Amino acid sequence: MKNSLYIACCLFAFQLMMANTIHVGSHYPVKSIKKAIALAVDGDTVMVHKGLYREGNIVIYKKIAFLGKDYPVLDAQKKGEVLSVKADSVVVQGFKIINSGFAALDDPCGIKVYNKKFVQIYNNRLDNNFFGIYLQNCSNCIVKGNHIVSHGTQEQLIGNGVHCWKSDNLQIIANTISGHRDGIYFEFVTNSVIWRNISAQNIRYGLHFMFSNDDSYITNLFKNNGAGVAVMFSKEVKMINNTFEENWGDSAYGLLLKEIADGYIFNNKFVKNTSGIYMEGTSRMKVEKNDFISNGWGMKIQASCMDNEIVNNNYLKNTFDISTNGSLVLNTFNSNYWDKYEGYDLDKNGVGDVPYHPLSLFAVLTEKNASTMLLYRSFMITLLDKSEKVLPSITPDNFVDKTPLMKSLPL
Amino acid sequence: MKKPMLFFALLLVLASCVSGEPKPIQLNTDACDFCKMTISNGQYGAELITQKGRYYKFDDVACMIHFAKSNTVVPYKAFFVSDYLMANTLIPAEKSFFLQGGTINSPMHGNAIAFTSEKEAKDYQSKYKAALLTWKELYSSY
Repeated sequence: MKNSLYIACCLFAFQLMMANTIHVGSHYPVKSIKKAIALAVDGDTVMVHKGLYREGNIVIYKKIAFLGKDYPVLDAQKKGEVLSVKADSVVVQGFKIINSGFAALDDPCGIKVYNKKFVQIYNNRLDNNFFGIYLQNCSNCIVKGNHIVSHGTQEQLIGNGVHCWKSDNLQIIANTISGHRDGIYFEFVTNSVIWRNISAQNIRYGLHFMFSNDDSYITNLFKNNGAGVAVMFSKEVKMINNTFEENWGDSAYGLLLKEIADGYIFNNKFVKNTSGIYMEGTSRMKVEKNDFISNGWGMKIQASCMDNEIVNNNYLKNTFDISTNGSLVLNTFNSNYWDKYEGYDLDKNGVGDVPYHPLSLFAVLTEKNASTMLLYRSFMITLLDKSEKVLPSITPDNFVDKTPLMKSLPL
Repeated sequence: MKKPMLFFALLLVLASCVSGEPKPIQLNTDACDFCKMTISNGQYGAELITQKGRYYKFDDVACMIHFAKSNTVVPYKAFFVSDYLMANTLIPAEKSFFLQGGTINSPMHGNAIAFTSEKEAKDYQSKYKAALLTWKELYSSY
């Protein structure tokens, strides 16, 4: 046993001795990155020093560490892909990668990983690429600390910042993404985590899930995107501790849920969105301890949703807290704080003695006919709203929080 | 004198609204009427016009067909699809040639693209390893 460990250690040390570092730069014998990769063997390091490298598409087809010192610039001059990774266990770190091609038929990227495992992409700066980082059919990869910027305008065809397709076990950590179509896009991706990213000013969504199960996104900021996050056709997605901020627009949402089930929405902040959460065809979700502050609509729950549990949330300063499009209510609301609640608490147990109907008459009217918004805050509507509170006729009467809280939860 | 002219001009404008011409899709602004996603790729889009002159926009041909099949009551006037080779240009669906499947990847995985001519469709057929379909075949395939 001891012997074999010893041999293993020796082998490892031997390996370390054998691993070479090939320097690339104007002051070094090797001036070209492609030549350095050709010279390298598995396990080597290619260290690229500061400078501008215009070598077209660079392909890494060996298990090497590909490191940049002082952010050397890889410029594809708008022709094709910049960096293609076609080997397992490659590390790409510290590059400035700019100007990939912009094509409609194939998707040229800043960095693309083809069907590989254990690839790590750290601390790169990507500027003006069609797609930023693209993981295709990969597993156990890490994308961390990259700064991804593009300058797409509304009309232009533009790709996603971090695009993951048919992958498993990914970690997307602490990246900053802006100006792309979707900040992060997950399509057929499972068992992955998205943590501490900032996705802002993207044209469509900050984060987008399609057909991706068992993922979680934790402590991210989604600000000022076309719409915040869209989770569609996915199961078991956990959404924890994120901030959804200022996603304004006609069809904009903080969080769009469509045809999803069994997820968990915990401790998020929805601030200043057109709609905080929009749910359609969503079932068995638990929405717990979230803040809904200053949104147009706190939550829009369409009648196609069922068995969702909305519990212990704060609804503060929203124009409408809740809205729905039908009379069917298959969801439960328990122990939330509603700043529009006007009940009392005689037994001083912190729970209002009068049940609260969070769905206002006016929310129902505007859902059916948007132009009724003209009458918002008019005397007639206030009167109708009050009488509706006493005798519900239009709003479904089982749409109710029986234990509304008297004080907002400290979240 | 001027007022009747204005009236006719208005009438013309109103008449043109229900002429069955497609309204261009505003990329990254319009949302798909079926899946609620923002439409951001002009190559896969589609549009439907009803007899009453209402417009519905879609980000994927499959969305349009699912939408059409889910509302059997509405009489449809025309179906339009985006020409794959001309960014965000709508062409009549009945006259288009479709490729479906293979390596085509559309926003909602309908995975169908449209061409104005059969020749163009055939040029791309081998590239995408897709099947060549007519509008009727495509409509019944979802």
